[in-house]
Amino acid sequence: MSDDTRPGGAPPEHGERRSDAGERASSGPDRDRRGRGLLERYVDSVADRLGAHSVAGKVLRKVFPNHFSFLWGEVALYSFFVLLITGTYLTLFFEGSQDETIYTGSYEPLQGADVSAAYDSVMRISFDVKGGLLIRQMHHWAALVFVGAVALHMARVFFTGAFRRPRELNWVVGVLLLILALAAGFTGYSLPDDLLSGSGLRITQSIILAIPFVGERMSYALFGGEWPGTDIIGRLYPVHILLIPAAIVALLAVHLGLVWRQKHTQFAGPQRTQRNVVGVRVWPGFALKSIGLFFLVAGVITAMGALFHVNAVWLYGPYDSGAATSFSQPDWYIGFLEGSLRLMPPWETRLLGFTINNLVYSAMLVPGVIFAGLLLVPWIERRFTHDDREHHLLDRPRDAPHRTAAGAAAITFVAVLFLGGSQDVIAGTLDVSIGHVTTFLQFAAILLPPIVYAGTWRLCRALARRPGPARTERAGGVVRDAGGGYHEADELEAEGSELGAEVAESGEAPARLGGGP
Amino acid sequence: MSRTGPNVRAYRAAIISFVVAIAGGVVAALGYGTDLGEDWLGIGLAASLIGIGFGLVCWAKYLDFDEHAVEEREPLVVAPPAKQELHAELRGGLEPMGRRKLLVGLLGGSFVSMFIGFVGPIGSLGPKPRGERDRTSWREGIRVVTADGEPIPVTTRTFDQLVTVWPEGHVGEDDAQVVLLRLPPEVLTERTVRNGTVEGWVAYSKICTHAGCSVGLFGIDNREPETLRQLVCPCHQSVFDPADAARPVGGPATRSLPQLPLAVDRDGFLVAAGPFDRIVGPIAWDET
Repeated sequence: MSDDTRPGGAPPEHGERRSDAGERASSGPDRDRRGRGLLERYVDSVADRLGAHSVAGKVLRKVFPNHFSFLWGEVALYSFFVLLITGTYLTLFFEGSQDETIYTGSYEPLQGADVSAAYDSVMRISFDVKGGLLIRQMHHWAALVFVGAVALHMARVFFTGAFRRPRELNWVVGVLLLILALAAGFTGYSLPDDLLSGSGLRITQSIILAIPFVGERMSYALFGGEWPGTDIIGRLYPVHILLIPAAIVALLAVHLGLVWRQKHTQFAGPQRTQRNVVGVRVWPGFALKSIGLFFLVAGVITAMGALFHVNAVWLYGPYDSGAATSFSQPDWYIGFLEGSLRLMPPWETRLLGFTINNLVYSAMLVPGVIFAGLLLVPWIERRFTHDDREHHLLDRPRDAPHRTAAGAAAITFVAVLFLGGSQDVIAGTLDVSIGHVTTFLQFAAILLPPIVYAGTWRLCRALARRPGPARTERAGGVVRDAGGGYHEADELEAEGSELGAEVAESGEAPARLGGGP
Repeated sequence: MSRTGPNVRAYRAAIISFVVAIAGGVVAALGYGTDLGEDWLGIGLAASLIGIGFGLVCWAKYLDFDEHAVEEREPLVVAPPAKQELHAELRGGLEPMGRRKLLVGLLGGSFVSMFIGFVGPIGSLGPKPRGERDRTSWREGIRVVTADGEPIPVTTRTFDQLVTVWPEGHVGEDDAQVVLLRLPPEVLTERTVRNGTVEGWVAYSKICTHAGCSVGLFGIDNREPETLRQLVCPCHQSVFDPADAARPVGGPATRSLPQLPLAVDRDGFLVAAGPFDRIVGPIAWDET
């Protein structure tokens, strides 16, 4: 990673290649075929039919800012690709059915057990399909990584103010994608019909039942009658493999399309203004790195799938009403909801002869407030700042202390809920009573966010007052000098060398960095 | 391109990465095809993918594409005249339409009617609730049996142990699952006894009134001055007092577990003395 200050721009062969291509692109289809390489001929044969030469050129020259925090969105996208690929493989074996069958596969402890066809097929994938367990675990790990990357991406966008005008719509699309990611995760988690997922479904059914007015009817419609019924796995299956992925793909297209149209935000820095984007062009730098990132993400997920067991359904056993296990925690991204259910005080309201169930508070009100708050972030902030201007330059978190403090407080609240989802594990580990842990976390959920807000705000103010370079990108980096040698920019700056000084204030874009031919 | 400066390292790293990637594929194939062990399939694939990824990134580094290209933004907001042009066009198209109030009204009505038409198939997804949730298979005189179908002699001397039981002939029925406990009779409260206990035997619906999980844990704490007994739901840690009609004493549950009245039949086995007195498990908005 280096600040590019080479006066001559790219090595000569790049420049030549590009100007060559430009010349060819401008020539018509009648031009003699000789002189065009195979690549150019293929590109022309498509582009000539779509009139796409100028658009394609724009695509290749599109600029992506260079900052590590921009990585999370890509990681999310690529883990989603891994999900699609591994998920497709799993559908070739999975049976979305609750038909009863007797397990006869090669996992001895369960041989002869009454299981559903769904559980049976998951066991077959895990033990009798060679490589099946790897793909299954990759799928599960990829889901955990996907939601995590989405959350980190969202945090980046929030704390830098990238959601402000003109990107409010894309923020909303992003929140919807997060909700879909959670829904994808939850439906997938439920499909194996093991003991844990069965308990999760039972809780879901109870929540639906508690919905005022339509709850019972809705529960009957979804489950095909009284719990547990024989329909739910077969119904969740198409939702998990068709409806939700299709919705994610559609919203992803909108999400990326909006980024394309509105262009990326960037941190302030030399050359960087509200009216430009500074960074790497798609071709070839960004493409090479981003494709590399895809393989890295896929590789890390594969390594996780190969080395670490996840969702070991053979240990949980098939779903069996009447059975229950302690220390049953859902996948991490449902943890906050689990915690909301566990930490909610035993409140239930009778109103005009109707019952406002405890679950209405814990499973509807709390997540409802969280997601409504997320959706409305751009408008909530605007109410306070009255700032309706376009923003393409990002804030450093410290420079928007109230926003940063609010974000930190919200994360604290969700984190306390998350801990609440494992309060039995905490109590077991610390050897204290569950009741005490619960009470402590109930107070923490109320008291900690304001404290964190105040602390973060003060910290931001202190950091903002600290003297330092005004720009947030790397202050140093490696510089190539006129003779072709490389130096640390910081080092040069410290020595007061001319080159270093030049680096520090390089204001103009070198010639080759301009928009295009 | 000349290989000077630190980029030589990136070049070498790319070479090593791609070699690792090639080797990874071979390891994966061996892991699958030989008795090397299936673990190597995943490890080989991971090495292959990470090798390709790291190699590509190093390649990009080696070519030093870490540039500062500048792309100008086109303004998103256009000048007022251009806006007004679009507004005029929109208005121009709408105005003649707006005057056909009848057609607009009918179109709206058509949509409403169409949606109502689609409600039917949605309703087919599940039957109408007809009070099934109020009833379980427990009736007066039906025997209490374990998961294996064994009836329970009232004389069984196992105190403070939780057994999951069902009505005879209905083992495994979700809404009929019951926790059966024998507690020292003197700890049972008056109302618990009044609800139907037999020599310290008490039975409660096993479905948590909070969110429907099975209340599968029975805890007994002898440290207290008075021994403390608790039924705990593992899902959300609701706690019920089995000595006092399964009253909720901790966690999010608000309602006690319905108690199953017990009796003894002629052969000395435990039977139900009647059904539950209310709905088991979580409730809907119009229930109590």
